[in-house]
Amino acid sequence: MKKMHIVLLILVVASIAAIVSVFGSFSTYETFTSAGREPGKKYYVIGNLQKDKDMVYDPVKDPNHFIFYAKDKAGNVNKVIFNGEKPRDIEKSEQIVMMGYEDGGTFHCSRIQMKCPSKYKKDMVAQGSSS
Amino acid sequence: MATQFIGEHLRPGQLGHFLIIASFVASLFSTFTYFMAARTELKDPEGSRSWLRMARGSFMIHTAAIISIFVTLFYVITHHLFEYHYAWEHSSILLPGKYLLACFWEGQEGSFMLWIFWHCILGLVVMGTAKGLETRVMTFVSLVQVCLGTMIMGIYFGQDIQVGSNPFILLRHSMQAAPIFQMANYMDFIRDGNGLNVSLQNYWMVIHPPILFLGFASSLIPFAYCLAALWKGDYKDFVKPTIAWALLNGAVLGTGIMMGGAWAYESLNFGGYWAWDPVENASLVPWLTLIAGLHTLLVYRSTRRALKLTFFLLILTHLLVWYSTFLTRTGILGKTSVHAFTGDGTALTYHLLGVIALLAIISVGLFQWRRKGIPGIKTEEATLSREFWMFIGSVVLFLSAVQIAISTSIPIWAPLAKWITGKEFAPPVDPMHHYNNIQVWIAIVTGILSATILYMKFKQTESGTLGKRLGITALIAIAMAGFIAWGQHIVIWQYDTMLFAACYGIVANIYYGIVIQKLKFKKLGPSVAHFGFATVLLGILLSSYNKHTISFNNTGVEFDLKKTVAENTKENRENETLFFGVPVAMGDYFATYIGDSDVAGKDKRVYYKVLFERKDLLSQKASERFMLYPDAFINPKGQQGLSSNPSTKHYWNKDVFTYINVAMDNTKEDTSSYRSTIVNKPGDTVFLNNAYMIFKGLSKEVSDKRYTPEPGDLPIRATLEVHDLKGDVTELNPLYILRNKEYVVRLEDTLPSVGVYVRFANLTVHSQDSVSADIMTKQTDPKEKYIVLKALVFPYINVLWIGVMIMVLGFFISLGDQLTRKSKKGDTLIS
Repeated sequence: MKKMHIVLLILVVASIAAIVSVFGSFSTYETFTSAGREPGKKYYVIGNLQKDKDMVYDPVKDPNHFIFYAKDKAGNVNKVIFNGEKPRDIEKSEQIVMMGYEDGGTFHCSRIQMKCPSKYKKDMVAQGSSS
Repeated sequence: MATQFIGEHLRPGQLGHFLIIASFVASLFSTFTYFMAARTELKDPEGSRSWLRMARGSFMIHTAAIISIFVTLFYVITHHLFEYHYAWEHSSILLPGKYLLACFWEGQEGSFMLWIFWHCILGLVVMGTAKGLETRVMTFVSLVQVCLGTMIMGIYFGQDIQVGSNPFILLRHSMQAAPIFQMANYMDFIRDGNGLNVSLQNYWMVIHPPILFLGFASSLIPFAYCLAALWKGDYKDFVKPTIAWALLNGAVLGTGIMMGGAWAYESLNFGGYWAWDPVENASLVPWLTLIAGLHTLLVYRSTRRALKLTFFLLILTHLLVWYSTFLTRTGILGKTSVHAFTGDGTALTYHLLGVIALLAIISVGLFQWRRKGIPGIKTEEATLSREFWMFIGSVVLFLSAVQIAISTSIPIWAPLAKWITGKEFAPPVDPMHHYNNIQVWIAIVTGILSATILYMKFKQTESGTLGKRLGITALIAIAMAGFIAWGQHIVIWQYDTMLFAACYGIVANIYYGIVIQKLKFKKLGPSVAHFGFATVLLGILLSSYNKHTISFNNTGVEFDLKKTVAENTKENRENETLFFGVPVAMGDYFATYIGDSDVAGKDKRVYYKVLFERKDLLSQKASERFMLYPDAFINPKGQQGLSSNPSTKHYWNKDVFTYINVAMDNTKEDTSSYRSTIVNKPGDTVFLNNAYMIFKGLSKEVSDKRYTPEPGDLPIRATLEVHDLKGDVTELNPLYILRNKEYVVRLEDTLPSVGVYVRFANLTVHSQDSVSADIMTKQTDPKEKYIVLKALVFPYINVLWIGVMIMVLGFFISLGDQLTRKSKKGDTLIS
C-alpha cells in the first residue's frame, strides 16, 4: 500500500467520522405536540398564523417580545413567543417555519422564516383597474 | 373575434421572440458544425476547415442575437413598456436609472440571459485562442449555450408543460384569467410596474450579479477544455489554457462570492457577511472544487500525476454550478434559506435536472471511454515533495466541499432519510456551529499546507533546509498567534489552532516571497494568493470570534435565574428600543435617537439619526461622538412594516454595525395638544419635557424666509432660547402676524432635536414696555417616538476584506505569469 493511499484512507475515514458526528446537529420538523415531548429542546415547527387571534407586539415595553398564535400541520393551535421584532408582513404569510422549543404550552421561538405568496398577485392588477 | 388591444407596443416583443429563436438555432447549428469540424479534422482537413468557418459564423450570429436580445429587453425596461410582464414585474417609472440594469437581472429570465451573455463573450475569446482544441472546446461551449437557450424559450407542450420562460411574454398572456384583460384599453389602467424590491435597490445589485455570473460562466471553459482533451486524447495542449482559465475563474468567482458577503454585510440586515446560508454555500462549493482542480492540474503539469483527479474536479465544478442553479432557482430551498425565492415550479426543476443529467452523462461517458489511455505514473511520490502535499490539500478542499454540499442539500435527501428513519430532517438549529465545527479543521489543514508546499520542490525536497525554514516560520507564527490569542481572548483551542495556521500562512508566505523569490513580481502569484488566503482566515476568525451584539436588552423581561447567563443571552434578545432623545447604553457607547429625515420619492425612505457617544465614566464627557444613519423604507409597496438598510461606523480595527428593526410610522396623525405658558417679561422661562426655553422678548423687526410681507400687516416676532439637556442653545422665532387688523396668521417654529413646536398668541399690552404673551408649546411624547435598533460590533473585519483583495490580486499575478510564460525546465509536458 502506498503512503498516499494510507493518507487518503485516513482523510476519508476522518471526514466520514466528522460528517457522522455533526449529523446529530441536524434538527427535525416537529409539531407542537411532538416538540412538547422534550421541553426545552429546539426543533423546527411548520405552521401558519392564526389571524383571528391577537398578535401582541409593543416595542415600548419590550422590543424582543412578540406573541402570536400558530396552527401546526396537525391542526393544533399554540401560543408562540418570539424573542425578536414582529417580522414584516407576517399577516400575509402563507406558512411560517419556527425554530424554538415548547415549554408549558407555549412555543418559545428564536427564529422565524416566512413563506409569503408571490409578491406579484393578480389582484394587484385588479386594484389598479378600479382607480 | 380576437380583441384589438389599444396602446400596446408589440414590435419589441416580436423582435425579441424572433431573436430568441434565432440565437437558439444558431447555437444548435454551431454545436453541430463544430462537432463535424472536430470529427473531420484528421480525415478531411479541407472539409473540416469549411465546417469550422460555418461554426465560427454561427457562433458569432448566436452572440449577435444574444446581444440584441439584451438590448431589446433593456429597451422594454427603460421605456417602461408595462404590457410586457418582465418590465411590469421588475421595474417602475420612478425607479432611478441606475437600477434599471438591476431590474434586468432581478428576474429568472434576465439572470439566465446574463449567464448566456458571458458564455458568448468567453466563447469568442476561446475561439481566438484555443488553436488546435478550438473545435472540440467550442462544441461543448455551444452545447451548453443550447441548454441555456431552452431556459428562455418559453415553449408550451400542451396546456401545462412549459419549457423555459420567455422574457418577452405579454402581461395579458401571463395572467389570462384576470378580467382586466377583457378590456381592449387595459393599458390605460396599467400605469406603473411593481418596481424593484426595495431591499435590492442599492449599487451592489447593479455590480454583484454580473461578476458572480461571470464567475459561474467562466467555469464552463475549464470544463470544456477537459472534455476536449478527453475527446481528442491529447493531454498536453489543454494544460496551459486550462490553468489560465481556472485562475481567472478562481479570481472572478472568489470576488463574486465575497462581494455577496460584503453586500449582505453592508446593506442587508442579515447581521453579518457569512451565515452558511444555502445560497452562499451553493456558490462556495464550486469554488472549492475549482481551487482543488487548479492545484491538481499544477501537479500534473510538473509531474504528470493526478490527471484523473484534475478531470474529475474541473468537470465537477461546472456541474456544481448547474446544481447550485438548481438549488437556488427551483424553490426547493424555500424552507431553509433566508433568501426569497421565486419557486418556478416543477417544470424548471425537471428542466435543470435534465441539463445536469445530459452534461454528466457526456462527461462520464467520455471519461470511461478514455479511462485506460489517461496517463499516470505508477511509482510512488516522495513524502517530501510538493505534489504529495498539493494532492492531499486538494483532497481536503474537496472533502470540505462534500460536507458543505451534503448539509446544504438537506431538502434533496430529506425525503430519503424520512423513508429510512421516519423522521423529517430539518437544517441544524445552529448552522454556524454545525459548519464551523468541521470547517475549522479544513481551515487549519489548508492554511498550513498552503504555506508549507511552497517551501517544497516538485519530486524531491532537501529535508535539512526545509526543516530549518519551516521551524523558524512556525516559531514566529506561534509567537504571533499567542500574542493575538491573548489580546483577543481567543480561548477555544480549535480556534487557537486555526489562529496558528493563519499566522503560519502569513509569516511563511511573506518569508517565501521576500527571501526565496526575492520579490520577483511575475513569480509572486502563488505566495501572494496564499498570503491573501491566510489573511482571510485570520480576518474570519477575528471578526467572527469576537463579534458581539451591543444592543442587548432585558427591559420588561424577568431574567430566568434557572438558566445561566449564556443561556439567557442565547435567547436572541438583541433589539433595543431607543426613545426619542433618551440615551441608551450600548457596549462602550451611549446611543441616542435624535431625529430623522425623509427623502422625497415614491417609496418613503427615512434616515434615522442616531448619535453614538463614548463617555468617560468619571468626567461624563464624551470622548468620541459619531452619527449613524440607518435607514428604512416605511410600508414599501403597501406592505406592512419596513425594509431597512444598515449603517456602519468603520474604525481601522472594528466596525459598529446598526440597523433598524421597527420604527414609528411618522405619517400617522399627530394627536398631542398644545400647552400654554404666559410670559410677562424677557427672562421668563418655559419648561419643556427635556429642555427649557428663555423668553427673550418681542420685536416688530421681522425678516424671515417663511414670511412674505403684505400691505396692512403687523408682524411680531418672539425670540426664545432653547437650552437642551446637552447644554446646546438654539434660538427659535415663532411669528405672529396681524393682517388688516382682522385676522391673525401664526407661523410656528420647531426644534426637532428636542421635538418641540412653538407658536404664540394672546398678546396683551399692559403698558409701554410690558407685554405678555401666551407661548404655546407642543412636544411629541418621547414615549411615542422610538426606533428599535440592533447594533453589532465586528472587530478586525477589514483584515478579511484586505485578505480577499490580496488573494484575488495573487490570482491575477499568476494569470499574468501564465499568459506570458515560456516553457520551463520543470514542466515535463512541454516537448
